Amino acid sequence: MAEEYVVQMKGITKVYPNGIAANQGVDLNIRRGEIHALMGENGAGKSTLMKMLFGLEQPTEGEIWVNGEKVNLSSPTVAISKGIGMVHQHFMLVPSLTVAENMVLGMVPKKSGLFIDKKKAVELTEEYSKRFNLHVDPTAKVMDIPVGMKQKVEILKALVRGAKILILDEPTAVLTTQETTELFRELVNLKKDGYTIIFISHKLNEIMEITDRMTILRGGRSMGVHNTSDVTPEVISRLMVGRDVVLKVEKDRAKPTDEVLRVRDLEYVNEWGKKMLDKVSFSVRKGEILGIAGVEGNGQKELVDMLFHLNTPNSGTVTVNGENIIGLSQRDIRKKGVSLVPEDRMLYGIAGAASIQENIISDRCGDKRLNKGLLFDMKAIHEETDRLIQDYTVLCKSRDQRVDNLSGGNIQKVVVAREFSNDPCLIIADQPTRGIDVGATEFIRKKLVELSRSGIAVLLVSADLNEVMELSDSLIVMYGGKIAAYFEETDDLTDSVMGEYMLGLNHQTPDEIRRVCHE
Amino acid sequence: MNKKRSIIFSLVRGTAAILIALAVAALLIFVSSDGAGAGEKLAQTADAMRQLLIGPAFKSSGGISVKNLSDVLAAMIPIVFTGLATCVMFSANQFNLGAEGGIMLGAFVASMVAIYAPLPPVVLPIAAILAGALAVGAMMLIPAVLKAKLGVSEMVNSLMLNYVVLYFIKYLLNSHLADKSKGQIMSYPFQAHAAIPQLIDNGSKLSWGFVVALIFVVLVYLFMYRTRWGYSIRMIGINQDFAMYSGMKVAAVVVLSQVLGGLLAGMGGGIEVLGRYTTFNWNTLPGYGWTGITVAILAGNNPAFVPLAAFFMAYLNKGCNLMSTYCGVPSQLIDILQAVIFVFFAAEQFLSGYRQKLVVKSTQEELKRAAQEAQEKGEVK
Repeated sequence: MAEEYVVQMKGITKVYPNGIAANQGVDLNIRRGEIHALMGENGAGKSTLMKMLFGLEQPTEGEIWVNGEKVNLSSPTVAISKGIGMVHQHFMLVPSLTVAENMVLGMVPKKSGLFIDKKKAVELTEEYSKRFNLHVDPTAKVMDIPVGMKQKVEILKALVRGAKILILDEPTAVLTTQETTELFRELVNLKKDGYTIIFISHKLNEIMEITDRMTILRGGRSMGVHNTSDVTPEVISRLMVGRDVVLKVEKDRAKPTDEVLRVRDLEYVNEWGKKMLDKVSFSVRKGEILGIAGVEGNGQKELVDMLFHLNTPNSGTVTVNGENIIGLSQRDIRKKGVSLVPEDRMLYGIAGAASIQENIISDRCGDKRLNKGLLFDMKAIHEETDRLIQDYTVLCKSRDQRVDNLSGGNIQKVVVAREFSNDPCLIIADQPTRGIDVGATEFIRKKLVELSRSGIAVLLVSADLNEVMELSDSLIVMYGGKIAAYFEETDDLTDSVMGEYMLGLNHQTPDEIRRVCHE
Repeated sequence: MNKKRSIIFSLVRGTAAILIALAVAALLIFVSSDGAGAGEKLAQTADAMRQLLIGPAFKSSGGISVKNLSDVLAAMIPIVFTGLATCVMFSANQFNLGAEGGIMLGAFVASMVAIYAPLPPVVLPIAAILAGALAVGAMMLIPAVLKAKLGVSEMVNSLMLNYVVLYFIKYLLNSHLADKSKGQIMSYPFQAHAAIPQLIDNGSKLSWGFVVALIFVVLVYLFMYRTRWGYSIRMIGINQDFAMYSGMKVAAVVVLSQVLGGLLAGMGGGIEVLGRYTTFNWNTLPGYGWTGITVAILAGNNPAFVPLAAFFMAYLNKGCNLMSTYCGVPSQLIDILQAVIFVFFAAEQFLSGYRQKLVVKSTQEELKRAAQEAQEKGEVK
């Protein structure tokens, strides 16, 4: 039976130096000549697993078998020699060199043993380009070609090096719809030629379209392997996000009053020229939770970035209590009463090597009540920290414990404790409970409802369908950088209705959507 | 990884680095000693190592050597200041290597004030030291502002700035300020009342500057750990994105950290020159800035540990000098020792396998505990 599998990863565990267990006892079996999807949410451990297969990382425990032979993939060079190729999400190309030069990097054809034989490089590129029906321009500089072509160059690069097993890490994340269609056609061709493809993605529709089987990861563990034809998108999404644990949060009807956040005609085109936000308009009022649902990558991240000046929109206006916040520093945005629970809590949310206390006071270290003249008022700071640790039930040994020694849920409680406690008028909560334990999730959700009922405006962005539907008073769905739907009530909404809007199968009329502006 | 394991790891790592450095030193002495047989070489090596390790503190007769110890303490003064300066800058993740040029410029400016300024006693040395500090603070604006505004690497800039400072001072001294009546290139003598009084008058040059240095250790510690500015510096050093998101003025703090580093290095230069010399005659970079970097790294960028690290470096230095005086071992050995310790301390991956084992152990324990808790909860339900 072993020959059936071209790649076998057995009981893989990976613990990173920062103590995060990215994979725990994961098994992955890939059949020869199949397109195998590796699915899971961000942080589920997909990339880590593939980095180990490509020799970029070494497993802490477990074995890897390729072609029925146990291998030690100590570097990408070894992996390549075993016929494994990887196309990274962020391209590994030299922009100032031509396509042909990029193709032969590290295996340059020589003229009289010394000079680069550019003609041969071009010929080689053309040969492979024809053979695999992947059209590229060998003499163009990589910086001048479109994203779709860059990806083809990456695929060809792997093929030239003799790869029989291709790992594609979220290949469609940067592509337009047409480019995606083209890529899929090419992948199917490769499969016909006997190549094996591992396809990393968290987009359900893509997976259903082209894969044969799938392995689903959740929280670093495997949720099993399935034939694509045997499962429905609902089953997959349940396995991916664990929707079977439905947390009920009690909340009474919202009584929204004045408008706090006002977003109008926000537009943003990213560095690759893709329109990520297309005339997005909405309002959030005091005392309500407005949810933003949608499959990840449909503009939610960009929207939040604009609201907290982590990026600048091309056009449009954003006001908080009637005052413009575009172009203001985070310091000034915070002064207007805006709090953000960031999506990437390790990047923005905390200073890992600092203590809990130091992480709690980061936004208020200049406040009068925490300072005595030039020096910190340590007593006041201790009191503030201890109070928040208690109020937010942060499990820790002491306030001086390093925050990155806490579990994910407790780290998020520290972030939330800080963001919720500085008297905000608007809270933006971006994936506030992603990847954290049930207890912390429940706590944070209850807190959000409690705060909104006390008269704070809450904007909740979440890819967790259960979360947005459960918490939001009203709800918008984003698809392709636009608002696809607005629901004033969430009580009667069903998954299937939501799903249609989230996957772009349906969208409301501009007038229906316009209601979210409350004008 | 829990705190206890972290501390154990730091201790094991530090001790291992020092032991390896000493082993390398012993090996080099053994190889280079001119003894006849292996036995004689071994005896010489043992003698030299004794001088290196014990010499700075004890007389060969057995009693404590006050002179040697006061030499060590006096040598700490400039490197405490450069160590503090580097701590502040490195804490903000600013790899500014300008403490070397800083201490030289500080010394030079303080000397000029000490020679030419018509100021009364007490005021004169203080004014001289402050002038030196301010000059270096202003000098550090160059790499700092370039970094904050244009993103130019402060490391390259500050490194090159050291040589600009050196040659600028040499030019001024050689062409305009030298005392032509002397056989060597040096400035006119300082006014007598510019000198910093000595703590012990045994020629060690252990001046009141030592006390000032210790006071500044406390002040810098308080600044870094008890004020909002020091706090911002450290947070920016740990995670700049976090600091920005939290609403800190990142660019201003990046500049502040380097200007402060400059003030400290400049002050060290002034105190060193007024406490030890009667005229300014440096015609090469003094090396205190480089040692300061080692001190800061040994101290883990924590000002509280700077005196300890500075003592360690000064002690080793004195030991090497004694070794070269009494055992004929070249004094350059100190550079090798310093380099080896430095390499192992700075090497992120040194003993990382051991660290990884500790991390895996901790994580697995935690996962097991979490699983157990979850199970217990499940049973209760």
